[in-house]
Amino acid sequence: MSRPPRWIACALAAVTAATAVAGIVVSVVAASRGADGDVPPPAFAAFFVAALVPTAVGLFVALRRPGNRIAWILLVGPLSVIVVMTANEVAALALHHRPHSNLGAWAALVANQWPVLFLWPLALAFVFPDGRLPSPRWRPAAAIATAASAGIVTLLFLAPKLDGPYGKVPSPLPFDFPESVLLPLFWTCWAGLLASLFLGAMAMRARYRAGDAQQRRQVLWLAYGALLVPLWLGGGSLVALLGVSTDPIDGIGLVIFQAWPGVAVAIAVTRHGLYAIDRLFNRTLVYAALTALLAATYAVVALLVGLVVGGSAWSASLATLAAALAFRPLRDRVQNAVDRRFARARFEAVRLLRDFLDEVREGRAEPEDVGAAVALALDDRTAELFFRLPETAGYADRNGHVLDDLPDDGRRRSVIGRELGVLLHSPSVAPDLLRGVLDAAAVPVELARLRVELRLQLAEVESSRARIAQAGYAERRRIERDLHDGAQQRLVTLGIVLRRLQRSLPREAQLLNPALDAAVDEVAGAIADLRTIAAGVRPPRLDEGLAAALADLARGSAVPVDVAATADRAPPEVEAAAYFVACEALTNAVKHGSPTRVAVQTERENGVLRLLVIDDGVGGAHATSGTGLPGMADRVAAHGGTLAIDSPPGAGTRIAVELPCAS
Amino acid sequence: MRVVIAEDTVLLREGLAGLLQDAGHEVVGRAGDAESLLALVGEHSPDLAVVDVRMPPDYDDEGTRAAAEIRSSHPETAVLVLSQHIETRHIVELVSAGGGFGYLLKDRVLDVDDFLDAARRVADGGSALDPQVVATLIGAPRPVAALDELSPREREVLSLMAEGRTNAGIAKRLWLTERTVETHVRTILMKLGLPATSDDHRRVLAVLTYLRAIKG
Repeated sequence: MSRPPRWIACALAAVTAATAVAGIVVSVVAASRGADGDVPPPAFAAFFVAALVPTAVGLFVALRRPGNRIAWILLVGPLSVIVVMTANEVAALALHHRPHSNLGAWAALVANQWPVLFLWPLALAFVFPDGRLPSPRWRPAAAIATAASAGIVTLLFLAPKLDGPYGKVPSPLPFDFPESVLLPLFWTCWAGLLASLFLGAMAMRARYRAGDAQQRRQVLWLAYGALLVPLWLGGGSLVALLGVSTDPIDGIGLVIFQAWPGVAVAIAVTRHGLYAIDRLFNRTLVYAALTALLAATYAVVALLVGLVVGGSAWSASLATLAAALAFRPLRDRVQNAVDRRFARARFEAVRLLRDFLDEVREGRAEPEDVGAAVALALDDRTAELFFRLPETAGYADRNGHVLDDLPDDGRRRSVIGRELGVLLHSPSVAPDLLRGVLDAAAVPVELARLRVELRLQLAEVESSRARIAQAGYAERRRIERDLHDGAQQRLVTLGIVLRRLQRSLPREAQLLNPALDAAVDEVAGAIADLRTIAAGVRPPRLDEGLAAALADLARGSAVPVDVAATADRAPPEVEAAAYFVACEALTNAVKHGSPTRVAVQTERENGVLRLLVIDDGVGGAHATSGTGLPGMADRVAAHGGTLAIDSPPGAGTRIAVELPCAS
Repeated sequence: MRVVIAEDTVLLREGLAGLLQDAGHEVVGRAGDAESLLALVGEHSPDLAVVDVRMPPDYDDEGTRAAAEIRSSHPETAVLVLSQHIETRHIVELVSAGGGFGYLLKDRVLDVDDFLDAARRVADGGSALDPQVVATLIGAPRPVAALDELSPREREVLSLMAEGRTNAGIAKRLWLTERTVETHVRTILMKLGLPATSDDHRRVLAVLTYLRAIKG
């Protein structure tokens, strides 16, 4: 659709306003000369002002969205009404002056087009808010409305006698159709128009029922109006049939009737986000109010200072200073006031998020709950917030569950800040409300995102440390096997070869026997050494369980060790970790604590392997001193476990280790 | 006697075979894993199978498991298990099940006479347990009041009994008379609450049954 230039909108509005002013002037002049028509001047003025409301709204929308059909209906409709009403006053004045005035006749002809009052609201009912019919099924209804409107306007032009202010006036047009033809046609068209008004109300109802929450809010007020029109006309006709004058009711009804569509559209535009120009409206309003308040501040201060001090330089500077100082607080207040009045939902939502941020600051809420706060603020239960993970370009929910892709389930996606996160929400959330909420949520979302990211990275570090520990265990196992099945095996073979050689020596070479015995002893010694080394790398008895390995450990100890170990098995790497911790603890105890006895206990409970090494030595061991204890703590931590040391000086040492068992 | 050897290291297997052949035994089969060992035993019904603990495919305890299988399905074939390190899994069960079983660390082979003696003893239905294995079993972590009652000398005797030695053998090893050893054995069995018999093997059995009981 081609867009009419904005100046046309301005021109139309200007003509409308000028005509209204002219109409009021004529009405006052006519009244002063005793030429009052059916309506007194104050009622007329009220009517003109009411008709200017939709004009103002239409101009506002047209300037922002020149292609908007509703804007043009709002501009042209009231203009036609005001022209007709003004013509009525002109006719009253002119015909009062000269009953056969040519001007009066023409004005009466125009004034006779009173059904225009209904035409533009009718059009609005059919095509509000998107400028189209609710659906193609409404085309017949629209056709009836168009035909009835065109018919009535045409018939009123063709009438040979016009309803003037003071009785019938002959039409200035050279038509002479008999009334017997025109009247039935007129009543047919009038019935068609009434039916169309009813159909228009149905169209609004249909649109209301088909819309989502936001669209419903947008059409609600106009729909009320559309429903009231048939009631009003029908009721008026009924009362008229009873022979009671309906003029006062008609007058008030007309005023409301002309203002209502404009107000309804204005409500939809400013408070329910229609045409997405509420923000502009909001800014315009804030700007205007702020300018007025600052100007008032300047003026008042300048005046007061001028009265007291008298110097113009002083008063100007002080007034400027006062205006500058007042700017910031005034701006916030005006914005708040405008928001409260015209963007209630957004105002409440933003305040809710501010409260949430306060709770986060005071430690009463977790930043990760921002998703719930946003859903509450938007009043959208389907809303779900995901934090962006810059490292992997994936997303995480509040619990740190990572998603590579967001669910594609018809919810709309909105990005928060600069890729801090993404909100999935219902498509019916008002754009302006959404924008306000997302802006207000940026800080808690950033906080939560950092925390989630940190948690994920920590978890990754922990699991990689566990993997390294596991790989270390596998490596120890491999080395132990290699020692036993490789080097040790070869030494045994070598020993056997030597022994066979020795036994096959001829009698005269028996003097080699001692040397060969010594060689075999060396080999046996080497085998024993290798066995010790291999056991240090990983005791093969761990295959039989922690209890068996600890028993061997105790047997090899210089200090008596009491072992009370559970026969329950744990995963091999956990058992190995417990074994080596026990080894180190035992070594430490013997080396630094001079104990007389050491107790080693293990138990398995609730998926945890617990190891307790208690000695009766000198105590005073520190978790951070030396290499033994920190090394132990690292080994335990690598398996996701905990190590606690209780070592008061002179009272022995108690090392408690808890290792989680995966199985 | 007729022997089958199961050992995955070829050089070691040949060395063992040579030792046994040097001593006049007949090596009727050589296996590199438990599966072919069982096939050879089934085929030749040898007097003795010398078996390595760790063999392909997993190098875990294939040898001891094959030993248990042989003892249950071919009772006429005795088994001598050789290991690179001490391991008590299955051992107590195998020893308790009756004679004809031995368990030695591989380096004991280097004491050739002892090794041949143990092989002979096992093949004849006796036992041979490595002293270190016995020490491991007797020094079980659980404190046992009954064992605490034994004197150091009696413990020594019990260890040698458990290794499968005869009274004469024990007497020779400890520089005692056979009569003294017999007295010690009677005291030990009494202290452990076991009835005395003249049968060497049942003594070992009794000792190991007891050990198994205290191991739980």
